[in-house]
Amino acid sequence: MTVTAGWYLALAAVLFVVGASGLLLRRNALVMFMSVEIMLNAANLSFVAAGRQLGVLDGQAAVFFVMVVAAAEVVVGLAIIVTVFRRRATASVDDLAGLKG
Amino acid sequence: MNGSLTFLSVAPEIALAAAVVLLLLVEVTFKPRAWAWAVVAGAGLAAGTALSAWQWVAHRGADTGTFWNGMIAVDGFAALAGLLVFPLAGLGLMSAWRLAASQGRRGAEFIALVLLAAAGAHLMAAAADFIMLFIGLEVFSLSLYVLAGFTRERVDADEASLKYFLLGAFASAVFLYGVALVFAATGSTTFYGDGGIADYLAGTVIFRPGVLLAGLALLLVGLAFKVSAAPFHVWAPDVYQGAPGGVTGFLAAAAKVAGFAALARVLTAVLGARADDWVPAVAVLAAASVVVGTLLAIVQDDVKRLLAYSSVAHAGFILTALVAGRGGVGDMWFYLATYAVQVLGAFTVAAAVSGDRAGRSPLAHWAGLGRRAPWLAAAMTLMLLAMAGIPLTAGFAGKVAVFRAAIDAGYLWLVIVAVLATVAGLFFYLRVIVAMYLASPEEGASLPASPAVGWGARFVLAVAAAATLVFGIAPWPLLEVLRDALPL
Amino acid sequence: MPQTDLSAYLPIALMFVLVVGFSVVSLFLARLVAPRHPTPEKVEPYECGIVPLQEPVQRFPVKFYLVAMLYVIFDIEIVFLFAWAASFDDLGWYGLAAVGLFTFLLIETLVYVWRRGALDWNLPRRRRYQRAGAAAGDAERTAA
Repeated sequence: MTVTAGWYLALAAVLFVVGASGLLLRRNALVMFMSVEIMLNAANLSFVAAGRQLGVLDGQAAVFFVMVVAAAEVVVGLAIIVTVFRRRATASVDDLAGLKG
Repeated sequence: MNGSLTFLSVAPEIALAAAVVLLLLVEVTFKPRAWAWAVVAGAGLAAGTALSAWQWVAHRGADTGTFWNGMIAVDGFAALAGLLVFPLAGLGLMSAWRLAASQGRRGAEFIALVLLAAAGAHLMAAAADFIMLFIGLEVFSLSLYVLAGFTRERVDADEASLKYFLLGAFASAVFLYGVALVFAATGSTTFYGDGGIADYLAGTVIFRPGVLLAGLALLLVGLAFKVSAAPFHVWAPDVYQGAPGGVTGFLAAAAKVAGFAALARVLTAVLGARADDWVPAVAVLAAASVVVGTLLAIVQDDVKRLLAYSSVAHAGFILTALVAGRGGVGDMWFYLATYAVQVLGAFTVAAAVSGDRAGRSPLAHWAGLGRRAPWLAAAMTLMLLAMAGIPLTAGFAGKVAVFRAAIDAGYLWLVIVAVLATVAGLFFYLRVIVAMYLASPEEGASLPASPAVGWGARFVLAVAAAATLVFGIAPWPLLEVLRDALPL
Repeated sequence: MPQTDLSAYLPIALMFVLVVGFSVVSLFLARLVAPRHPTPEKVEPYECGIVPLQEPVQRFPVKFYLVAMLYVIFDIEIVFLFAWAASFDDLGWYGLAAVGLFTFLLIETLVYVWRRGALDWNLPRRRRYQRAGAAAGDAERTAA
């Protein structure tokens, strides 16, 4: 069986759903954050697969920028999570319920 | 393309980036007093505004020109976004000045983040490629996540920051996956030009549009998150309530301007050929935002939270203009510009009443404000009346403009829903006004000491009040001018 | 897309089977033939023969996270240099100038981080910066 770009797009869709459900179902801030990274990488995989299928380089170029932006997001996100963690000794978002109404 | 013009196309961003670099280098080298920060930031924002004004004069009403291999668009739309975002950032800094100055040496970082957010916001409006739009979106969002939790010593602020970050990152990922799907369907991430998405969609009949439509839906969801349109608004109340008072106004105003600028260009210019697919979705989002925002605002007891739900409702009103497609973009700009000033003014008053660094602003703090601080109460009253859409304020003119655009587009039901919500909304705006003028502080209630208003905040309130009244009494000249700000 | 010749992957598949098979078989055999006389000392986690003093999983000092975060951001930015290096001949002086500007911005950031004291292990400089902000926070906590 030939593995065509369509399969990679399907895998990317599965990854995206895994990431999205992880974000919505898990309650640990770090795990939720990792789920976001899975979603970003699903988009990356789609870019590369679609670019390959269409025979254009734009997809791979896009991935470069997405990777760098994702790294910047990791740094800001970890900093925020560490700040929260230092104060409360928990990273569960269920314990963050001071603001509601 | 002529070389100097290429650099002039991103000149506003270059000015802002240079200001940030200079600010940080000066900060660690000389450890200057706060006024030096103000000079550098002011110079950067003034340069950005001036360059945007130059772009406006040169390109208003003309077709979009693209530079950097179709990455950056120069047109009236992008120039107007600069003319709105950079002064707004300046006003935001003035409003937040006491907060920034109270943060010791970290204040320089605060100012740098505001400048970066402004640059990112303008990049979102000027992007002519989805990748550039994504970068602008992230520069903008990452700055705001940090600003929302800037007073990290306070518990609410880091909670707000974390919630904003997790949901914002989720929205960014959804948006990016939408971009990837649109790329898979059309073979391009560029908006304009030969082989761009707009060109492809206008010239091609797509027999199996599933991937394209899924991408379009995800794009819409991602950007709806950023502008806090229901049902993607859940972060807004927590973030606006938890963020330090001084910066909440900038947070709210800039997020709306940048998000809607991106949304308007993507929907009308890029996906204009698929308008039949997205207009109904936008109409439903608009109706949901207006209804949810209004109903939930009614039950709030915290003024910052109330303003947050009101901003959800306003996202709905602004979306109402977009159902008219390209014809509604001028009306959208009018509503957006006047609302951004109003919301900045309202949060500035909230910061004065409850404190620059405080997150919460319970209604009890506002009791009897009309006697304690008549000018603050008057400014807040004007802002609230404008948001409610009382005639002779800019809010009324804006609502009339967006409703007319939607009626012209055949969305009478949406306008009826929005008008009903406007009437219901009067209730909660009036509740704050009644508290300020008719209620007296409870016995023994611990009110913050007499409201502290810095010179920056006074200037912001004066500008907001003047703009609200001038454009409320005579909106036509501005509406006429904004017709040139289309993403053609 | 041309039909891929999958036979080229056969050695990898064999290797995979061998690796999995070997580990499963050795684990199983060890359980089967090894003598077992557990004593309390033997079931303790092994730490050079000394009785463990504390739980192995501990929280790391935050300064490690700080360095890790700084590393991640500088590390990944370098990715753009690869793209430039790969097409160095085509880009010429313009590319060199662009990368020079990019590198300047990276170094400027590094200088800022360094002067702010984020790279100091013993934190005298960082403390100096944090004092003002922390003082503001303390004032707020006392007020609240």
